[in-house]
Amino acid sequence: MNWNLRPILVAIWRSPTGALLVALQVALALAVLVNAAGIVQQRVQKVGRPNGMDTPNQFVVAVSGFTREFDYTAMLATDLAWLRGLPGVVAASVTSAVPLLDSGSSAGIRNAPGLKAGRQANIFEMDEQGLAALGVRLVAGRAFSAEEILPPAQGNQALPQILLTRALARVLFPDGDALGRQVYDPLDRPITVTGIIEHMHGNWVDWDKLDHVAIVPRVPEGPQALYLVRTRAGERDALMRRVEEHMATSDPTRLLLWVRSMSSIERRAYLADRNLAIFLTAVTAALLLVAALGIFGLATYNVAARTRQIGTRRALGARRGDIVRHFLLESSLVTTAGATAGVALALAAGYWLSVTWQLPRPGLLHLSTGVAAVWIIGLLAAWQPARRAAAVPPAVATRTV
Amino acid sequence: MLGYYLRLAMSSLRRSPGLTALMIAAVALGIAVCVTSLTVYQGLSGNPIPWKNDLLHAVTIDNWDPQFPARERHPDQPPTQLAWRDAVALLESDIPVRSVVMFKTAGVLATGTAGARPQRALTRVTSADFFAMFDVPFRFGAGWTAAADQGPEPVIVLASAMNERLFGGANSVGRTLRWNDMEFRVVGVLDEWRPLPKFYDLNNGALQEPEEAYIPWGWGLAAELPSAGSWNCWKPEPLASFRDFVQSECVWLQVWVELADAGARQRMQSLLDTYARDQQRAGRLPRPLNNRLTPVDRWLADNDVVGSDDRVLVGLAFAFLAVCLLNTVGLLLARFQRGAVTTGVRRALGASRRQICLQHLTEAGLVCAAGAALGLALAGLLLWGLRLLYATQDGTRDGIQALAHVAPGSITTALALAVLATLVAGLYPSWRIGRSAPAACLQGRPMGFRHTGRRFVP
Repeated sequence: MNWNLRPILVAIWRSPTGALLVALQVALALAVLVNAAGIVQQRVQKVGRPNGMDTPNQFVVAVSGFTREFDYTAMLATDLAWLRGLPGVVAASVTSAVPLLDSGSSAGIRNAPGLKAGRQANIFEMDEQGLAALGVRLVAGRAFSAEEILPPAQGNQALPQILLTRALARVLFPDGDALGRQVYDPLDRPITVTGIIEHMHGNWVDWDKLDHVAIVPRVPEGPQALYLVRTRAGERDALMRRVEEHMATSDPTRLLLWVRSMSSIERRAYLADRNLAIFLTAVTAALLLVAALGIFGLATYNVAARTRQIGTRRALGARRGDIVRHFLLESSLVTTAGATAGVALALAAGYWLSVTWQLPRPGLLHLSTGVAAVWIIGLLAAWQPARRAAAVPPAVATRTV
Repeated sequence: MLGYYLRLAMSSLRRSPGLTALMIAAVALGIAVCVTSLTVYQGLSGNPIPWKNDLLHAVTIDNWDPQFPARERHPDQPPTQLAWRDAVALLESDIPVRSVVMFKTAGVLATGTAGARPQRALTRVTSADFFAMFDVPFRFGAGWTAAADQGPEPVIVLASAMNERLFGGANSVGRTLRWNDMEFRVVGVLDEWRPLPKFYDLNNGALQEPEEAYIPWGWGLAAELPSAGSWNCWKPEPLASFRDFVQSECVWLQVWVELADAGARQRMQSLLDTYARDQQRAGRLPRPLNNRLTPVDRWLADNDVVGSDDRVLVGLAFAFLAVCLLNTVGLLLARFQRGAVTTGVRRALGASRRQICLQHLTEAGLVCAAGAALGLALAGLLLWGLRLLYATQDGTRDGIQALAHVAPGSITTALALAVLATLVAGLYPSWRIGRSAPAACLQGRPMGFRHTGRRFVP
């Protein structure tokens, strides 16, 4: 095997423009690939993270009273009794907000009275079927009982008890078990922690404290009401249709606003993240393709320009393998030069992106995978021209000198 | 001369259609991706009311917690909304030409016609100047007067889509309807109006649609209407009733003023500061003085309307264009090399280097112009794809869908990118071919490539 690089380097040196153009393309492609991969991975993880609920079997109904005769309490009682009586419904609860639906409230909760800094928590008001309707798991304590549910109230009303997600309980009580301990509301009134929820997502998917959720036993204020309904597996769609029909006509003093499945709410919440990942992937793939075309074009051009030399080499005894190796090596040299510049560019761009926009910085794994990918693409793109070069018959050398 | 160059370019491009197609495709792809991302970016970062940029100012006062800033990401800035008592106090000033205080609330509209379903309508509760201040176009009728705010009078303005749903698009001025079971009289119907971003109230999303109905400000207090937008409180207060809420430090109102000139601006600023100092003396506003009058473009920037993701996409698009253009440079070099014999003849017959260079630049320009045209069409396709990606199944509309259309801005962008592409991709190859020696051209090796096979021993 002859691994002599000198003739190849000389050939590149003699007409460096093409090689330089391709190396630049490779460098840019690698920088984009590495950084895009980091961002896409981050978004895919974000979209795919578990929300703690029984998403495929849940839906939400929004209604709103609007007439003078409208009786909020009576409506809730009637609607919830009807919903809970439906065959196929596992649980139904009125709720002040819908997880993953961009509208809800947060408040500071403190672990001692008189403290200024509270821990921000996403607050949900629900009734005794709240946990069952959410489909979340309680790891300690107990759910609310029907008698414990407080009537609607505005503002900072005193609360006897509260359920916390484990993530919230950990930041409030880093020293250990939160069950049975007291937290304090803004007016310094104590609230007893009566249950710990394993995991649950709140309202704002871009919030870094998405899993800091607290549930309080209270009927939310009217005149708008949200019902969270959980069904048996596979019965959601039929029940959604049935509920929509009923709610639209059952009570003329109120209006059915919408009925949405939890899956569609989840999809909507992550739409921008999902689409960014799709767009980045598509453009990066197209970019790699264009760069591959560049490598292919350069190799094709080189083969065409040096047909006579190839013939001469073949006539002087070079085997086909030598010719293929020559062109693949030449292409790899260009790719390697481009990749080296690309790694520097990727690191610089990644640093800038992370400092300016808090985007993830490319890791070593991304970098090495990217370099390997670019290298393999380079070889594949040069393969066909190299084979074509090897097919040049030695007789070419004798024809046109 | 240009006509001649164009003819030469056309015949040259026709000679190798495959290479020509490849070049055009490369330029088109790069321009398409750039136009797509820039169209969305322009929509996001645009100022929907540039002609009033220096006149309109968002008013903000820092009434927040002494220990924590209102905005985690912008600790230097006051809350984006105002508490009731501050808003009302400032509304009394006669320094601004116009001033608006407002919030949005949930409403249900019913015409009372048998069989007609009531309609949910997000409603803006606003003082009278709203329409004139933001140049809101009317199809029928007009807004209300300041007296109607005081009353408050039961008058309502409908957005055109709501008028379509309720009255089939007819002139409904003078008709009555029920808003949350109270009787209101229609005084105006808006024309199509969708400012993007929704600069006057960026809470709940910068690309939200404007509200579907508008009622006088006085109804807020008179009917105890709760905010359907965002509201924030920091102070431990009981907030047990609507009156409590109104008197609290909770912020939930948007306040804008129209100031005629720099003098008015200064007077308004000192009024704000004087008011804040008076309040501090009375025991409120525990933070250092931080009252602001923010013009529209600054307001959009302060509120991070353009996110980091949007900027990343623009950067990505330009990296893509760069790779496409580098590719085109290579292809053009090859293309010019193939036509080198003709070039050599032209040089030998007395064409100057400059003329050769210009002729080839014309050819590059032609390729880039074709690429831009194809790219624009492709961008239309990509934007359509983007609208599909942002389609929601639940009837809600994503603002990106409103932005993702080929706009006049996209065409300008494509044109500018075509010129840029010609210069970036065409200049170097044209210069190279222009300065090559005629004899070398005639031998078909204009770029200085020499056949030196002797070193290639196996």
